[in-house]
Amino acid sequence: MSINQLIFRNLKKNLKNYYLYVFALVFSASLYFAFVTLQYDPSMDKAEGSVKGAASIKAASILLVAIVSIFLLYANSIFIKRRSKEIGLFQLIGMTKNRIFRILSVENLILYFCSVFLGIFVGFAASKLIIMILFKITGVQAIATLQFSFQPLIQTLIVFSAIYLFIMLMNYAFIKRQTILSLFRVTSMTEGKVKKVSIFEMIIGIFGIILIIAGYVVSSKLFDGAFSQMTELFIAMVFILASVIIGTYLFYKGSVSFIFNIVRKKKNGYLNINEVLSLSSIMFRMKSNAILLTIITTVSALAIGLLSLSYISYYSAEKMAQSSIPTDFSMTDMKDADTFKEALTDSKIDYDEKVIDVIQVDVNVKEIMETSLEAVNFDPDIMTVPVISDESVQGINLADDETLFSGYSNMMEKIMSLKDSGKIELKGKHEVIPQTYMGLNDDTILSYYFTSGGLPVAIVDQTIFDRLKKDIDPKIQKVSSVNIGIDVKDKAELEKANDIFNKMSFKEEHVNDSQFEMFNNQKKNMGLIMFIVGFLGLTFLVTSGCILYFKQMDESEGEKSNYTILRKLGFTRGDLLRGIQAKQVFNFGIPLVVGLLHSYFAVQSGWFLFGTEVWTPMIIVMVLYTVLYSIFGILSVFHYKKVIKESL
Amino acid sequence: MNILEAKKIHKSYGNKFNKQEVLKGLDINIQEGEFMSIMGASGSGKTTLLNVLSSIDKISNGSIIIDGKEISGMKEKKLAEFRKNHLGFIFQEYNLLDTLTVKENILLPLSITKTANNEAAQKFDTVAKELGIYEVKDKYPNEISGGQKQRTSAARAFIHDPSIIFADEPTGALDSKSASDLLNKLSEMNKKRKATIIMVTHDPVAASYCSRVIFIKDGQIYTQLNKGEESRQTFFKDIMKTQGVLGGVQNEH
Repeated sequence: MSINQLIFRNLKKNLKNYYLYVFALVFSASLYFAFVTLQYDPSMDKAEGSVKGAASIKAASILLVAIVSIFLLYANSIFIKRRSKEIGLFQLIGMTKNRIFRILSVENLILYFCSVFLGIFVGFAASKLIIMILFKITGVQAIATLQFSFQPLIQTLIVFSAIYLFIMLMNYAFIKRQTILSLFRVTSMTEGKVKKVSIFEMIIGIFGIILIIAGYVVSSKLFDGAFSQMTELFIAMVFILASVIIGTYLFYKGSVSFIFNIVRKKKNGYLNINEVLSLSSIMFRMKSNAILLTIITTVSALAIGLLSLSYISYYSAEKMAQSSIPTDFSMTDMKDADTFKEALTDSKIDYDEKVIDVIQVDVNVKEIMETSLEAVNFDPDIMTVPVISDESVQGINLADDETLFSGYSNMMEKIMSLKDSGKIELKGKHEVIPQTYMGLNDDTILSYYFTSGGLPVAIVDQTIFDRLKKDIDPKIQKVSSVNIGIDVKDKAELEKANDIFNKMSFKEEHVNDSQFEMFNNQKKNMGLIMFIVGFLGLTFLVTSGCILYFKQMDESEGEKSNYTILRKLGFTRGDLLRGIQAKQVFNFGIPLVVGLLHSYFAVQSGWFLFGTEVWTPMIIVMVLYTVLYSIFGILSVFHYKKVIKESL
Repeated sequence: MNILEAKKIHKSYGNKFNKQEVLKGLDINIQEGEFMSIMGASGSGKTTLLNVLSSIDKISNGSIIIDGKEISGMKEKKLAEFRKNHLGFIFQEYNLLDTLTVKENILLPLSITKTANNEAAQKFDTVAKELGIYEVKDKYPNEISGGQKQRTSAARAFIHDPSIIFADEPTGALDSKSASDLLNKLSEMNKKRKATIIMVTHDPVAASYCSRVIFIKDGQIYTQLNKGEESRQTFFKDIMKTQGVLGGVQNEH
């Protein structure tokens, strides 16, 4: 057999074994190519909001390369170990190490670059689809036209060639280091000896769980006012990160085997098949893969968390826009409003107008504060809030000693929560008016210009309002003291109205806003971020799923002899397969569940900074992630099925 | 009473054009409570014979009846069922699961048949004490000696009181002291529990512990020796002599 034939044969055999590797390679190459194509595509400019489209895609493609190269290098290290016997045999029959290296390189070259080219081809075909997805998410109306250009092609080739060189370097180092004997032994060496669970491990195990729980507890208190100073907040965040990551590591290193050991002790030596099959892999192998599993768990928690958060803000874009600008258009200058109204009438668009007088008043809210917040430069004696009369709001009538708050933002409410009732003081320039606080309404009445981004509006009786108006403190007043809300009657004409609004030339210092415009901007920015995080997350999911699958492939080879024994003892293939399923539930499930838990607590601690709705978007993201991730677990069960069948 | 009856068993590997016949019409009858060994040179087909008798491999032709049941036509699931209730195995390489303790390894066959907990514990105590491995019950296989491993393997074969125990070169990886220990234990168990043991070996010393030795050559029974009332020493000498006649390549030219 000539060398060429040898290479060809190996290739054919490997392709069958490593279809998932080829798949992951094709997937990442195509995604990278598509991203780079987008980056150079002129139509991307349209998807730009305040976040630069091309720049963020570029950043994403760099991250993508990082994920992909780590994955490829890791996968390669698994493969070369599996082939150590073959390499040893070649050496034994007298091939030089350089020759073997050349064979491996050529073999890899063909497999690798075929996949990369296939990936580029798929990527080109898919890039139109991808840009269409991007336009759909960001709400940009443009036609996706893509031409093939050479710049992305060359960039993709250069990047993947560089990764290939690294892989070759790794192979070279591996072959050079090994002697014939050690090559034959390498697979058995990598497996750790089976030992009893020591007391030290138990302590590590308990410590790991405690660290994770501590991180969770601190994270849930993060914005409760327990950490009110910036430095404290920062330290708390670092603490959470450190304790959860270290805790995760210790969890894999000790806790898992510790918990299983307790279960096992209880059984008093009498184990059923599921336990027999799961034990080795969970108690002993998880420990030696602790670093890998920690990385996978942490990054998947990060991916799920970021995806949830960006989806939360995308999902609540409309509500956010509504709570910032309660009417379709919100203006603060009478003249601007008049010109706009004229323009609307010219275009025959019907509208409602609502003018509200607003003054800014210092309020003493010390009595109704749930938490004390001296540290964040906030004095509860003087909270400056906009005040309006109860006659400006329909359906509300207050006595002259009553004050109602309305429209407190989620985020502010988390940081500074208010009691249900109590005493407050309205402070004019000279006069202080004591009032009874009646509670909080959900409705937003004024635009964010008046509420300083999230403070509630105080509604008082007309008489009190008049008294305050006479006694205003000019230092704390805004430029404008009138909120002109314009609602278009027929919502179908909203877009037309918005176009008119955008064509108007208002002065910069006059704050005039359109809800529609704000919603679109929010959607554009969050859509782009979601798009990027989504595809990066997907790449990470595919690569980490592949790594776990390869690990299982390795494990199945190592355990083949066990299956032989068990089948000789009279376990049927079905028995074994059920055991394997149980084992895979743990193998894939533990990192997944830990990752989901991490991201759950991360999202819970800070979601209100991003949007108004948490459950629906978070659950959608988590379910999607779990489903895609489970595919790899199912594939590994199929692989085991084959191994079990061959074992007798 | 015959516990195992094999009639005209044939076994061949390969396809129509390239056929390798390993077993060529063997007849074997084994009595209940017998301790029998199968001897033969390498490649004579003794391991294949053991595999087909123990239902791990299928025969091409013939019939095997164990405990009154014809096993040659059984489906895979039935066979697994049969193995777990009626057969026990001891292998040359111990074949213990590294990740389980001695006790867990021994209890495996009972967990398949879903034996009650206290009954299992009782059976374990008895068999582990008989074989002298009770002290190491909580150790892992890599922490005990080869002899202890093989006795663990034996305990696993005996614990569910199978009809027949198949032993494939059980002393192959043991030093002579551990080997004679194991063989003494096996013949003790054979007498005490009336267990039927079929052992493949090419060690004449090991075979001399048995009550009957079958010699196989080129896939056929060459001869058989009965121990009868002889002492182990004289039986050993007989075996050596037979093996001398049997061994070597025939010089036809």
